[in-house]
Amino acid sequence: MARAVWGIVAREFVRFLRQRGRLVSSLARPFVWFVFAGAGFRAMFAGPPGLDYPRYMAPGLLGMVVLFGAFLAALSTVTDRDAGVLRMLLVAPVPRGAIALGKVLGATLLGTVQALAVALILLPAARLSVTPGGAVLALAAVVLTSLAAGAVGLVLAATIRSIENFAGVMNFAIFPMLFLCGAFYPVRNLAAPLRALAYLNPLAYGVDLLKHALLAPWSAAGYGGELAVGFDFAALAVFAGLGLAAATPLLAREDGVTRAAFPGERR
Amino acid sequence: MIEALGLGKDFGAVRALDGLDLDVGEAEFFGFLGPNGAGKTTTVHILATLLRPTRGSARIAGHDVVRESLAVRKSIGLVFQEPTLDRDLTVEENLRFAARLWDLPGGTRSAATRIDELLRQFGLSERRDSPVRSLSGGMRRAADIARGVLHRPRVLFLDEPTAGLDPRARRTLWQFIRDLRAASGMTVFLTTHYVEEAEPCDRVAVLDRGHLVAQGTPAELKRAAGAGSLEEVFLARTGRPLAEADAAAAPPGRER
Repeated sequence: MARAVWGIVAREFVRFLRQRGRLVSSLARPFVWFVFAGAGFRAMFAGPPGLDYPRYMAPGLLGMVVLFGAFLAALSTVTDRDAGVLRMLLVAPVPRGAIALGKVLGATLLGTVQALAVALILLPAARLSVTPGGAVLALAAVVLTSLAAGAVGLVLAATIRSIENFAGVMNFAIFPMLFLCGAFYPVRNLAAPLRALAYLNPLAYGVDLLKHALLAPWSAAGYGGELAVGFDFAALAVFAGLGLAAATPLLAREDGVTRAAFPGERR
Repeated sequence: MIEALGLGKDFGAVRALDGLDLDVGEAEFFGFLGPNGAGKTTTVHILATLLRPTRGSARIAGHDVVRESLAVRKSIGLVFQEPTLDRDLTVEENLRFAARLWDLPGGTRSAATRIDELLRQFGLSERRDSPVRSLSGGMRRAADIARGVLHRPRVLFLDEPTAGLDPRARRTLWQFIRDLRAASGMTVFLTTHYVEEAEPCDRVAVLDRGHLVAQGTPAELKRAAGAGSLEEVFLARTGRPLAEADAAAAPPGRER
Protein backbone atom coordinates (compact mmCIF):
# COMPACT_ATOMS: atom_id res chain seq x y z
CA MET A 1 0.00 0.00 0.00
CA ALA A 2 2.92 2.32 0.77
CA ARG A 3 4.19 1.66 -2.75
CA ALA A 4 0.83 2.62 -4.22
CA VAL A 5 0.73 5.90 -2.26
CA TRP A 6 4.29 6.64 -3.35
CA GLY A 7 3.39 5.83 -6.96
CA ILE A 8 0.55 8.36 -6.88
CA VAL A 9 2.77 11.06 -5.33
CA ALA A 10 5.57 10.41 -7.85
CA ARG A 11 3.17 10.67 -10.77
CA GLU A 12 1.88 14.04 -9.54
CA PHE A 13 5.43 15.34 -9.31
CA VAL A 14 6.50 14.10 -12.75
CA ARG A 15 3.39 15.64 -14.33
CA PHE A 16 4.08 18.94 -12.61
CA LEU A 17 7.69 19.07 -13.84
CA ARG A 18 6.53 18.25 -17.35
CA GLN A 19 3.96 21.05 -17.52
CA ARG A 20 6.27 23.99 -18.15
CA GLY A 21 3.48 26.55 -18.34
CA ARG A 22 2.12 25.54 -14.96
CA LEU A 23 5.63 25.65 -13.48
CA VAL A 24 6.41 29.13 -14.80
CA SER A 25 3.04 30.67 -13.95
CA SER A 26 2.98 29.24 -10.45
CA LEU A 27 6.42 30.70 -9.72
CA ALA A 28 5.77 34.04 -11.41
CA ARG A 29 2.29 34.71 -9.96
CA PRO A 30 3.34 35.83 -6.45
CA PHE A 31 5.94 38.22 -7.88
CA VAL A 32 3.36 39.86 -10.11
CA TRP A 33 1.27 40.51 -6.99
CA PHE A 34 4.36 41.53 -5.02
CA VAL A 35 5.32 44.16 -7.59
CA PHE A 36 1.91 45.52 -8.63
CA ALA A 37 -0.24 45.16 -5.51
CA GLY A 38 2.79 46.07 -3.43
CA ALA A 39 3.39 49.27 -5.40
CA GLY A 40 -0.28 50.26 -5.36
CA PHE A 41 -1.07 49.67 -1.71
CA ARG A 42 2.26 50.81 -0.32
CA ALA A 43 1.13 54.45 -0.13
CA MET A 44 -2.18 53.58 1.58
CA PHE A 45 -0.64 51.30 4.17
CA ALA A 46 0.19 52.90 7.52
CA GLY A 47 2.07 50.11 9.25
CA PRO A 48 4.43 50.31 12.19
CA PRO A 49 8.02 51.51 11.65
CA GLY A 50 10.02 49.10 9.48
CA LEU A 51 6.99 47.34 7.96
CA ASP A 52 6.04 48.48 4.48
CA TYR A 53 3.23 46.87 2.50
CA PRO A 54 5.26 44.49 0.31
CA ARG A 55 6.91 43.17 3.45
CA TYR A 56 3.53 42.80 5.20
CA MET A 57 2.19 40.94 2.20
CA ALA A 58 5.07 38.41 1.93
CA PRO A 59 3.61 35.73 4.29
CA GLY A 60 0.25 36.02 2.53
CA LEU A 61 1.90 35.60 -0.86
CA LEU A 62 3.53 32.37 0.35
CA GLY A 63 0.05 31.30 1.44
CA MET A 64 -1.17 32.13 -2.04
CA VAL A 65 1.54 29.93 -3.58
CA VAL A 66 0.41 27.07 -1.34
CA LEU A 67 -3.22 27.67 -2.30
CA PHE A 68 -2.55 27.60 -6.03
CA GLY A 69 0.08 24.83 -5.69
CA ALA A 70 -1.64 22.34 -3.41
CA PHE A 71 -5.29 23.19 -4.01
CA LEU A 72 -4.95 23.10 -7.79
CA ALA A 73 -2.92 19.89 -7.62
CA ALA A 74 -5.72 18.21 -5.69
CA LEU A 75 -8.24 19.63 -8.13
CA SER A 76 -6.37 17.85 -10.94
CA THR A 77 -8.27 14.77 -9.78
CA VAL A 78 -11.12 16.13 -11.90
CA THR A 79 -8.86 15.84 -14.94
CA ASP A 80 -7.96 12.30 -13.87
CA ARG A 81 -11.63 11.43 -13.86
CA ASP A 82 -12.15 12.94 -17.32
CA ALA A 83 -9.05 11.26 -18.78
CA GLY A 84 -9.91 7.88 -17.25
CA VAL A 85 -6.85 7.57 -15.02
CA LEU A 86 -9.09 7.59 -11.95
CA ARG A 87 -10.64 4.33 -13.19
CA MET A 88 -7.21 2.72 -13.17
CA LEU A 89 -6.75 3.89 -9.57
CA LEU A 90 -10.17 2.59 -8.52
CA VAL A 91 -9.68 -0.87 -9.98
CA ALA A 92 -6.23 -1.27 -8.37
CA PRO A 93 -6.16 -3.39 -5.20
CA VAL A 94 -5.70 -0.32 -3.02
CA PRO A 95 -8.11 0.95 -0.36
CA ARG A 96 -9.92 4.15 -1.37
CA GLY A 97 -8.32 5.92 1.59
CA ALA A 98 -4.84 5.22 0.20
CA ILE A 99 -5.80 6.82 -3.12
CA ALA A 100 -7.06 9.92 -1.31
CA LEU A 101 -3.93 9.97 0.84
CA GLY A 102 -1.66 9.69 -2.21
CA LYS A 103 -3.48 12.54 -3.93
CA VAL A 104 -3.29 14.77 -0.85
CA LEU A 105 0.38 13.97 -0.19
CA GLY A 106 1.15 14.73 -3.84
CA ALA A 107 -0.58 18.09 -3.44
CA THR A 108 1.36 18.68 -0.21
CA LEU A 109 4.64 18.01 -1.98
CA LEU A 110 3.80 20.36 -4.85
CA GLY A 111 2.55 23.14 -2.56
CA THR A 112 5.63 22.87 -0.35
CA VAL A 113 8.18 22.76 -3.17
CA GLN A 114 6.64 25.78 -4.90
CA ALA A 115 6.36 27.80 -1.69
CA LEU A 116 10.00 27.07 -0.84
CA ALA A 117 11.19 28.05 -4.32
CA VAL A 118 9.24 31.32 -4.14
CA ALA A 119 10.38 32.04 -0.57
CA LEU A 120 14.04 31.86 -1.60
CA ILE A 121 13.55 34.90 -3.84
CA LEU A 122 10.57 36.62 -2.21
CA LEU A 123 11.91 36.93 1.33
CA PRO A 124 15.22 38.59 0.29
CA ALA A 125 13.30 40.80 -2.16
CA ALA A 126 11.02 41.94 0.68
CA ARG A 127 14.12 42.41 2.86
CA LEU A 128 12.62 40.21 5.55
CA SER A 129 15.22 38.68 7.85
CA VAL A 130 14.17 35.29 9.17
CA THR A 131 15.35 33.77 12.44
CA PRO A 132 16.19 30.03 12.47
CA GLY A 133 13.14 29.44 14.66
CA GLY A 134 11.01 31.46 12.27
CA ALA A 135 12.28 29.43 9.32
CA VAL A 136 11.37 26.14 11.01
CA LEU A 137 7.91 27.45 11.91
CA ALA A 138 7.41 28.78 8.36
CA LEU A 139 8.38 25.41 6.87
CA ALA A 140 5.99 23.56 9.18
CA ALA A 141 3.28 26.08 8.30
CA VAL A 142 3.82 25.59 4.57
CA VAL A 143 3.72 21.78 4.83
CA LEU A 144 0.63 21.66 7.03
CA THR A 145 -1.20 24.33 5.03
CA SER A 146 -0.45 22.43 1.82
CA LEU A 147 -1.83 19.29 3.44
CA ALA A 148 -5.03 21.03 4.55
CA ALA A 149 -5.50 22.87 1.23
CA GLY A 150 -4.86 19.62 -0.66
CA ALA A 151 -7.43 17.74 1.41
CA VAL A 152 -10.09 20.43 0.98
CA GLY A 153 -9.25 20.66 -2.74
CA LEU A 154 -9.71 16.91 -3.09
CA VAL A 155 -13.18 17.08 -1.54
CA LEU A 156 -14.10 19.74 -4.08
CA ALA A 157 -12.55 17.73 -6.94
CA ALA A 158 -14.41 14.60 -5.92
CA THR A 159 -17.67 16.58 -5.79
CA ILE A 160 -17.59 18.41 -9.12
CA ARG A 161 -18.12 16.36 -12.21
CA SER A 162 -16.16 18.03 -14.96
CA ILE A 163 -13.52 20.64 -15.67
CA GLU A 164 -16.24 22.87 -17.07
CA ASN A 165 -17.14 23.77 -13.48
CA PHE A 166 -13.63 25.02 -13.03
CA ALA A 167 -14.36 28.71 -13.56
CA GLY A 168 -16.98 28.43 -10.84
CA VAL A 169 -14.37 26.93 -8.56
CA MET A 170 -12.02 29.85 -9.23
CA ASN A 171 -14.72 32.41 -8.48
CA PHE A 172 -16.42 30.74 -5.55
CA ALA A 173 -13.53 28.92 -3.86
CA ILE A 174 -10.09 30.22 -4.77
CA PHE A 175 -10.74 33.97 -4.77
CA PRO A 176 -12.77 34.01 -1.53
CA MET A 177 -10.12 31.83 0.12
CA LEU A 178 -7.42 34.19 -1.08
CA PHE A 179 -9.13 37.37 0.07
CA LEU A 180 -10.34 35.93 3.36
CA CYS A 181 -7.03 34.54 4.56
CA GLY A 182 -5.37 37.63 5.95
CA ALA A 183 -2.88 37.83 3.10
CA PHE A 184 -3.72 41.40 2.12
CA TYR A 185 -5.29 42.81 5.29
CA PRO A 186 -5.57 41.58 8.89
CA VAL A 187 -8.51 39.25 9.51
CA ARG A 188 -9.31 41.09 12.76
CA ASN A 189 -10.21 44.22 10.73
CA LEU A 190 -12.94 42.40 8.81
CA ALA A 191 -16.64 42.82 9.64
CA ALA A 192 -17.95 40.01 11.87
CA PRO A 193 -19.72 37.94 9.16
CA LEU A 194 -16.67 37.99 6.89
CA ARG A 195 -14.44 37.22 9.84
CA ALA A 196 -16.58 34.18 10.61
CA LEU A 197 -16.17 33.07 6.99
CA ALA A 198 -12.42 33.60 7.24
CA TYR A 199 -12.26 31.19 10.15
CA LEU A 200 -13.85 28.52 7.94
CA ASN A 201 -10.96 28.98 5.53
CA PRO A 202 -7.98 26.67 6.12
CA LEU A 203 -5.68 29.15 4.42
CA ALA A 204 -6.41 31.75 7.12
CA TYR A 205 -4.74 29.54 9.74
CA GLY A 206 -1.79 28.88 7.44
CA VAL A 207 -1.22 32.57 6.72
CA ASP A 208 -1.61 33.31 10.44
CA LEU A 209 1.18 30.82 11.15
CA LEU A 210 3.35 32.35 8.44
CA LYS A 211 2.85 35.77 10.01
CA HIS A 212 3.92 34.32 13.37
CA ALA A 213 7.02 32.99 11.63
CA LEU A 214 7.94 35.98 9.47
CA LEU A 215 6.40 39.12 11.02
CA ALA A 216 7.25 38.45 14.68
CA PRO A 217 8.97 41.84 15.20
CA TRP A 218 5.67 43.61 14.43
CA SER A 219 3.30 41.35 16.31
CA ALA A 220 3.22 43.72 19.30
CA ALA A 221 1.98 46.41 16.91
CA GLY A 222 -0.82 44.07 15.77
CA TYR A 223 0.57 43.02 12.39
CA GLY A 224 1.81 39.52 13.25
CA GLY A 225 -0.15 36.36 13.89
CA GLU A 226 -3.54 36.87 15.56
CA LEU A 227 -4.30 33.37 16.87
CA ALA A 228 -2.22 31.09 19.08
CA VAL A 229 0.32 29.00 17.13
CA GLY A 230 -1.01 25.77 18.65
CA PHE A 231 -4.56 26.69 17.66
CA ASP A 232 -3.48 27.34 14.04
CA PHE A 233 -1.78 23.94 13.89
CA ALA A 234 -4.79 22.21 15.40
CA ALA A 235 -7.19 23.90 12.97
CA LEU A 236 -5.07 22.91 9.95
CA ALA A 237 -4.85 19.33 11.21
CA VAL A 238 -8.65 19.21 11.57
CA PHE A 239 -9.13 20.49 7.99
CA ALA A 240 -6.65 17.89 6.70
CA GLY A 241 -8.30 15.03 8.63
CA LEU A 242 -11.88 15.98 7.79
CA GLY A 243 -10.98 16.58 4.15
CA LEU A 244 -9.35 13.16 3.79
CA ALA A 245 -12.24 11.44 5.54
CA ALA A 246 -14.82 13.21 3.35
CA ALA A 247 -12.94 12.75 0.06
CA THR A 248 -12.38 9.00 0.45
CA PRO A 249 -15.98 7.82 -0.12
CA LEU A 250 -16.64 10.61 -2.65
CA LEU A 251 -13.79 9.45 -4.90
CA ALA A 252 -15.47 6.12 -5.64
CA ARG A 253 -18.95 7.54 -6.26
CA GLU A 254 -20.71 5.33 -8.75
CA ASP A 255 -21.61 8.10 -11.16
CA GLY A 256 -17.93 8.90 -11.46
CA VAL A 257 -17.02 5.35 -12.41
CA THR A 258 -19.46 4.40 -15.09
CA ARG A 259 -21.33 6.33 -17.71
CA ALA A 260 -24.20 3.90 -17.29
CA ALA A 261 -24.90 5.51 -13.92
CA PHE A 262 -25.90 8.79 -15.46
CA PRO A 263 -27.55 8.01 -18.77
CA GLY A 264 -28.40 10.93 -20.97
CA GLU A 265 -25.53 13.03 -19.78
CA ARG A 266 -23.44 14.40 -22.59
CA ARG A 267 -19.81 13.34 -22.52
CA MET B 1 -13.89 -18.56 -11.25
CA ILE B 2 -16.76 -16.10 -11.77
CA GLU B 3 -20.09 -16.88 -10.10
CA ALA B 4 -23.09 -14.57 -10.11
CA LEU B 5 -26.46 -15.27 -8.56
CA GLY B 6 -29.52 -13.17 -9.31
CA LEU B 7 -27.31 -10.15 -9.94
CA GLY B 8 -29.21 -6.90 -10.57
CA LYS B 9 -28.52 -3.20 -10.71
CA ASP B 10 -30.83 -0.18 -10.81
CA PHE B 11 -29.77 3.34 -11.70
CA GLY B 12 -32.57 5.41 -10.24
CA ALA B 13 -35.72 4.08 -11.86
CA VAL B 14 -33.79 2.38 -14.67
CA ARG B 15 -33.37 -1.37 -14.26
CA ALA B 16 -29.99 -1.79 -15.98
CA LEU B 17 -29.48 -5.44 -15.07
CA ASP B 18 -31.80 -8.07 -13.62
CA GLY B 19 -31.58 -11.67 -12.43
CA LEU B 20 -28.19 -12.48 -13.94
CA ASP B 21 -26.78 -15.93 -13.16
CA LEU B 22 -23.27 -16.75 -14.37
CA ASP B 23 -20.80 -19.54 -13.74
CA VAL B 24 -17.52 -19.12 -15.59
CA GLY B 25 -14.85 -21.77 -15.04
CA GLU B 26 -11.07 -21.64 -14.70
CA ALA B 27 -9.20 -20.78 -17.92
CA GLU B 28 -12.49 -20.41 -19.77
CA PHE B 29 -12.85 -17.89 -22.60
CA PHE B 30 -16.30 -16.48 -21.92
CA GLY B 31 -18.11 -14.13 -24.29
CA PHE B 32 -20.76 -11.68 -23.14
CA LEU B 33 -22.66 -10.66 -26.24
CA GLY B 34 -25.31 -8.01 -26.55
CA PRO B 35 -26.16 -4.64 -28.07
CA ASN B 36 -24.93 -1.38 -26.56
CA GLY B 37 -26.89 -0.54 -23.45
CA ALA B 38 -27.75 -4.20 -22.71
CA GLY B 39 -25.96 -4.04 -19.32
CA LYS B 40 -22.61 -5.62 -20.26
CA THR B 41 -20.43 -2.86 -18.85
CA THR B 42 -22.61 -2.60 -15.76
CA THR B 43 -22.05 -6.33 -15.17
CA VAL B 44 -18.29 -5.99 -15.59
CA HIS B 45 -18.19 -3.01 -13.23
CA ILE B 46 -20.14 -4.92 -10.58
CA LEU B 47 -17.83 -7.95 -10.94
CA ALA B 48 -14.83 -5.61 -10.68
CA THR B 49 -16.20 -4.05 -7.42
CA LEU B 50 -16.64 -0.58 -8.95
CA LEU B 51 -20.43 -0.71 -8.64
CA ARG B 52 -22.46 -2.27 -5.83
CA PRO B 53 -25.14 -4.66 -7.00
CA THR B 54 -28.71 -3.65 -6.09
CA ARG B 55 -29.75 -7.32 -5.94
CA GLY B 56 -28.01 -10.69 -5.83
CA SER B 57 -24.38 -11.55 -5.21
CA ALA B 58 -21.22 -12.44 -7.08
CA ARG B 59 -17.89 -14.09 -6.31
CA ILE B 60 -14.60 -13.94 -8.17
CA ALA B 61 -12.03 -16.65 -7.41
CA GLY B 62 -14.11 -17.37 -4.29
CA HIS B 63 -14.16 -13.76 -3.02
CA ASP B 64 -17.39 -11.83 -2.59
CA VAL B 65 -17.41 -8.67 -4.73
CA VAL B 66 -19.04 -6.55 -2.03
CA ARG B 67 -17.46 -7.82 1.19
CA GLU B 68 -14.00 -8.74 -0.13
CA SER B 69 -13.50 -6.08 -2.75
CA LEU B 70 -9.72 -5.77 -2.24
CA ALA B 71 -9.17 -9.52 -2.68
CA VAL B 72 -11.34 -9.42 -5.80
CA ARG B 73 -9.40 -6.49 -7.26
CA LYS B 74 -6.15 -8.38 -6.59
CA SER B 75 -7.29 -11.36 -8.63
CA ILE B 76 -8.68 -9.51 -11.63
CA GLY B 77 -7.38 -7.41 -14.48
CA LEU B 78 -9.80 -5.02 -16.16
CA VAL B 79 -9.39 -3.30 -19.49
CA PHE B 80 -12.08 -0.64 -19.64
CA GLN B 81 -13.93 0.38 -22.74
CA GLU B 82 -12.44 3.85 -22.37
CA PRO B 83 -8.69 4.43 -22.12
CA THR B 84 -7.20 4.70 -18.63
CA LEU B 85 -3.58 5.58 -19.31
CA ASP B 86 -2.08 8.97 -18.46
CA ARG B 87 -1.56 10.53 -21.89
CA ASP B 88 1.18 12.85 -20.62
CA LEU B 89 3.35 10.00 -19.36
CA THR B 90 5.28 7.58 -21.55
CA VAL B 91 4.18 3.97 -22.07
CA GLU B 92 6.84 2.74 -19.67
CA GLU B 93 6.03 5.39 -17.04
CA ASN B 94 2.40 4.34 -17.16
CA LEU B 95 3.32 0.70 -16.62
CA ARG B 96 5.70 1.62 -13.80
CA PHE B 97 2.90 3.63 -12.20
CA ALA B 98 0.59 0.61 -12.52
CA ALA B 99 3.29 -1.69 -11.10
CA ARG B 100 3.36 0.48 -7.96
CA LEU B 101 -0.43 0.54 -7.71
CA TRP B 102 -0.58 -3.25 -8.02
CA ASP B 103 2.34 -3.61 -5.63
CA LEU B 104 4.21 -6.07 -7.87
CA PRO B 105 6.08 -8.57 -5.70
CA GLY B 106 9.85 -8.80 -5.58
CA GLY B 107 10.56 -5.10 -5.68
CA THR B 108 11.07 -2.80 -8.61
CA ARG B 109 13.61 -5.02 -10.36
CA SER B 110 11.09 -7.77 -10.95
CA ALA B 111 8.53 -5.15 -12.00
CA ALA B 112 11.03 -3.87 -14.58
CA THR B 113 11.52 -7.39 -15.97
CA ARG B 114 7.79 -7.89 -16.23
CA ILE B 115 7.35 -4.52 -17.98
CA ASP B 116 10.09 -5.39 -20.51
CA GLU B 117 8.42 -8.72 -21.18
CA LEU B 118 5.00 -7.13 -21.75
CA LEU B 119 6.36 -4.35 -23.96
CA ARG B 120 7.96 -7.04 -26.15
CA GLN B 121 4.84 -9.19 -26.13
CA PHE B 122 2.61 -6.27 -27.20
CA GLY B 123 5.02 -4.88 -29.78
CA LEU B 124 5.61 -1.69 -27.81
CA SER B 125 9.34 -1.98 -27.09
CA GLU B 126 10.26 0.72 -29.56
CA ARG B 127 7.61 3.11 -28.27
CA ARG B 128 8.32 2.63 -24.57
CA ASP B 129 9.57 6.21 -24.18
CA SER B 130 6.81 7.81 -26.27
CA PRO B 131 4.06 9.72 -24.50
CA VAL B 132 0.83 7.76 -24.71
CA ARG B 133 -0.87 10.65 -26.52
CA SER B 134 1.44 10.08 -29.51
CA LEU B 135 0.42 6.42 -29.97
CA SER B 136 -2.13 5.10 -32.46
CA GLY B 137 -5.46 3.85 -31.14
CA GLY B 138 -4.42 0.21 -31.51
CA MET B 139 -1.15 0.74 -29.66
CA ARG B 140 -2.91 2.61 -26.88
CA ARG B 141 -5.33 -0.26 -26.47
CA ALA B 142 -2.43 -2.75 -26.49
CA ALA B 143 -0.71 -0.69 -23.77
CA ASP B 144 -3.94 -0.64 -21.77
CA ILE B 145 -4.17 -4.44 -22.00
CA ALA B 146 -0.51 -4.74 -20.95
CA ARG B 147 -1.47 -2.60 -17.95
CA GLY B 148 -4.40 -4.90 -17.23
CA VAL B 149 -2.33 -8.11 -17.14
CA LEU B 150 0.80 -6.63 -15.51
CA HIS B 151 0.07 -8.35 -12.20
CA ARG B 152 -0.79 -11.73 -13.82
CA PRO B 153 -4.48 -11.70 -12.84
CA ARG B 154 -6.43 -14.96 -12.69
CA VAL B 155 -9.38 -13.34 -14.45
CA LEU B 156 -9.10 -10.75 -17.21
CA PHE B 157 -12.11 -8.62 -18.12
CA LEU B 158 -12.00 -7.12 -21.59
CA ASP B 159 -14.82 -4.61 -22.07
CA GLU B 160 -15.28 -4.07 -25.82
CA PRO B 161 -11.51 -4.20 -26.37
CA THR B 162 -11.63 -3.54 -30.09
CA ALA B 163 -14.26 -0.78 -30.16
CA GLY B 164 -13.18 2.06 -32.38
CA LEU B 165 -10.20 0.22 -33.90
CA ASP B 166 -9.62 -0.39 -37.60
CA PRO B 167 -9.69 -4.02 -38.85
CA ARG B 168 -5.90 -4.33 -38.96
CA ALA B 169 -5.41 -3.09 -35.40
CA ARG B 170 -8.29 -5.35 -34.36
CA ARG B 171 -6.56 -8.42 -35.85
CA THR B 172 -3.25 -7.55 -34.18
CA LEU B 173 -4.99 -7.11 -30.84
CA TRP B 174 -6.75 -10.48 -31.13
CA GLN B 175 -3.41 -12.14 -31.82
CA PHE B 176 -2.06 -10.56 -28.60
CA ILE B 177 -5.07 -11.81 -26.64
CA ARG B 178 -4.75 -15.34 -28.08
CA ASP B 179 -1.03 -15.45 -27.20
CA LEU B 180 -1.81 -14.15 -23.74
CA ARG B 181 -4.40 -16.87 -23.10
CA ALA B 182 -2.13 -19.59 -24.42
CA ALA B 183 0.78 -18.44 -22.26
CA SER B 184 -1.06 -17.71 -19.02
CA GLY B 185 -4.15 -19.91 -18.89
CA MET B 186 -6.14 -17.06 -17.37
CA THR B 187 -9.91 -16.83 -17.47
CA VAL B 188 -10.99 -14.22 -19.99
CA PHE B 189 -14.37 -12.49 -19.77
CA LEU B 190 -15.03 -10.61 -22.98
CA THR B 191 -17.89 -8.23 -23.65
CA THR B 192 -18.62 -7.39 -27.24
CA HIS B 193 -21.37 -6.46 -29.61
CA TYR B 194 -19.51 -7.97 -32.56
CA VAL B 195 -20.78 -11.54 -33.12
CA GLU B 196 -17.63 -12.60 -34.95
CA GLU B 197 -15.61 -11.82 -31.80
CA ALA B 198 -17.83 -14.10 -29.72
CA GLU B 199 -17.52 -17.07 -32.12
CA PRO B 200 -14.14 -18.36 -30.83
CA CYS B 201 -15.32 -18.21 -27.18
CA ASP B 202 -15.72 -21.45 -25.19
CA ARG B 203 -19.13 -20.26 -24.02
CA VAL B 204 -21.29 -17.26 -24.78
CA ALA B 205 -23.99 -15.52 -22.80
CA VAL B 206 -26.38 -13.31 -24.72
CA LEU B 207 -27.69 -10.25 -22.89
CA ASP B 208 -30.52 -7.99 -23.97
CA ARG B 209 -32.03 -5.06 -22.01
CA GLY B 210 -30.50 -6.27 -18.75
CA HIS B 211 -31.69 -9.86 -19.11
CA LEU B 212 -29.84 -13.03 -20.05
CA VAL B 213 -31.61 -14.46 -23.09
CA ALA B 214 -29.32 -17.41 -23.89
CA GLN B 215 -26.21 -19.13 -22.60
CA GLY B 216 -24.06 -22.01 -23.90
CA THR B 217 -21.30 -22.92 -26.34
CA PRO B 218 -21.65 -21.14 -29.68
CA ALA B 219 -22.50 -24.51 -31.27
CA GLU B 220 -25.21 -25.29 -28.68
CA LEU B 221 -26.77 -21.87 -29.05
CA LYS B 222 -26.91 -22.15 -32.80
CA ARG B 223 -28.33 -25.67 -32.66
CA ALA B 224 -31.01 -24.72 -30.12
CA ALA B 225 -32.10 -21.72 -32.14
CA GLY B 226 -31.81 -23.58 -35.43
CA ALA B 227 -29.53 -20.78 -36.53
CA GLY B 228 -26.35 -20.65 -38.58
CA SER B 229 -24.69 -17.81 -36.70
CA LEU B 230 -24.79 -16.05 -33.34
CA GLU B 231 -26.33 -13.10 -35.16
CA GLU B 232 -29.33 -15.31 -35.95
CA VAL B 233 -29.36 -16.63 -32.37
CA PHE B 234 -29.88 -13.08 -31.15
CA LEU B 235 -32.65 -12.55 -33.69
CA ALA B 236 -34.36 -15.82 -32.68
CA ARG B 237 -34.21 -15.01 -28.96
CA THR B 238 -35.21 -11.34 -29.02
CA GLY B 239 -37.10 -10.98 -32.27
CA ARG B 240 -34.75 -8.20 -33.35
CA PRO B 241 -31.48 -8.26 -35.28
CA LEU B 242 -28.44 -7.39 -33.13
CA ALA B 243 -27.33 -4.45 -35.28
CA GLU B 244 -30.78 -2.88 -35.06
CA ALA B 245 -30.92 -3.29 -31.28
CA ASP B 246 -27.52 -1.69 -31.19
CA ALA B 247 -28.65 1.37 -33.08
CA ALA B 248 -31.78 1.69 -30.95
CA ALA B 249 -29.91 1.36 -27.67
CA ALA B 250 -27.21 3.87 -28.45
CA PRO B 251 -28.40 7.46 -28.61
CA PRO B 252 -25.88 9.63 -30.45
CA GLY B 253 -22.94 10.67 -28.30
CA ARG B 254 -23.21 7.90 -25.73
CA GLU B 255 -20.79 5.56 -27.42
CA ARG B 256 -17.59 6.59 -29.04
